[in-house]
Amino acid sequence: MLRRTDPHTLAGAYALDSLGDVDREKFERHLGVCESCRAEAASLRDAAGRLAETTAAVPPPRLRGQVLAEAARTRQQPPPVRVAERVRRSWHGFAGWPAAPRMAVAIAGVGILVALALGTLLINSQVRLRADETQRSQIAAILNAPDADIFTVHAHPHGSATVVMSHADHALVLTTARLPVLPSNECYQVWVMGTQRMKSAGRLPPPKQGMTAPMIVPGIAPGDHMGVTVEPAAGAQHPTSPPVLLLALPLH
Amino acid sequence: MTAELPGERPAAAPGGELAALLAMVARGDEAAFAGVYDRFATVVYGLVRRIVRDPAQSEEVMQEVLLEVWRTASRFDPGQGSARSWLVTLAHRRAVDRVRSAQASAAREVRAAVAATDYDVVVEEVETRLDAQRVRRCLESLTELQRESVTLAYYGGYTYREVAALLGVAVGTVKTRMRDGLIRLRDCMGPES
Repeated sequence: MLRRTDPHTLAGAYALDSLGDVDREKFERHLGVCESCRAEAASLRDAAGRLAETTAAVPPPRLRGQVLAEAARTRQQPPPVRVAERVRRSWHGFAGWPAAPRMAVAIAGVGILVALALGTLLINSQVRLRADETQRSQIAAILNAPDADIFTVHAHPHGSATVVMSHADHALVLTTARLPVLPSNECYQVWVMGTQRMKSAGRLPPPKQGMTAPMIVPGIAPGDHMGVTVEPAAGAQHPTSPPVLLLALPLH
Repeated sequence: MTAELPGERPAAAPGGELAALLAMVARGDEAAFAGVYDRFATVVYGLVRRIVRDPAQSEEVMQEVLLEVWRTASRFDPGQGSARSWLVTLAHRRAVDRVRSAQASAAREVRAAVAATDYDVVVEEVETRLDAQRVRRCLESLTELQRESVTLAYYGGYTYREVAALLGVAVGTVKTRMRDGLIRLRDCMGPES
């Protein structure tokens, strides 16, 4: 715990990977706001890494072929997208969408946010999810996909959604947090739309402690957007209200 | 994917060579990946073996590390430190993750802790390089408590709380000794060669 201790004293333990998970997350959050700490942490990390010079040992020769062969059949991750993207097209650009104000979509590609969001997802999937095994394993497959990208989107007027998208699977896992609580005759409905089509991906499960369990959205295509609207409890054929959140899916 | 221009060669500056290789790996260049393997397999394997100890598990972790390098080479940011540091950090984290998860199921042996303070190489040692000699000399320049704190954490994979328990000193003391020890190491070793 960092409580009431000076976080700077943890720089050494951090560089040695000697912090527990909780301490490390806190320290990394601190690094996010402290530039001089980042510089010190990097220089101590370099110094710690030099210690590996003294332990060099020749690996079994067969490993080389195994590693190179495995790499040849493993998909690589794309570089992180650091810039915040803004959805510029107006809602009228999508067939069937009611008019709505433009929404900002912040894409957090890397770092602590990813770890935190993914942690939340995993907790959700492990603890909250009571769906059948098939769905559970589909979710796990997407969360663990080597090419998975993760995004956090702010909702209107408050709350957020976290999306883990697998390019190869053309599918994503969606969870939300702190969306406005709806009356019992309404629900949140998820939509996937391209310029020519619009389809429902189903209703968000009811929230528990403000968070919804992971939901799979399959069959996404490059250029698609994902949106969430408030609809009657039974769901709707087409969106009938402006979306509370919208995300351009940067699928390859 | 952008095609490489004829005659365009990665910079050959010390340390910059690996960064250039990683950039090529990020673009899917398998030959560049083999180059990274050939330059760093001994460092990665030796470190992993030192922390994990079990040969079979060390090989698994070694493969995980190299595949992670392959998969995430595009995430290497030269602005955040050297390529060598990025790679070694990745290997260290994976090895530490492995021993900590193993530790969760079984209490660790004190014997391993004692062995970890001995920073001579136990497995087939590569010829001692100048860098290794310099690192050893710099380690000697630390106070005993600094050295033990740093080596137990780095080679033993212990958390600073575990290190404090092993050494019988306060947690706060260990934290400051780790930082002071690394600062002294950094200043003693100078820039990477």
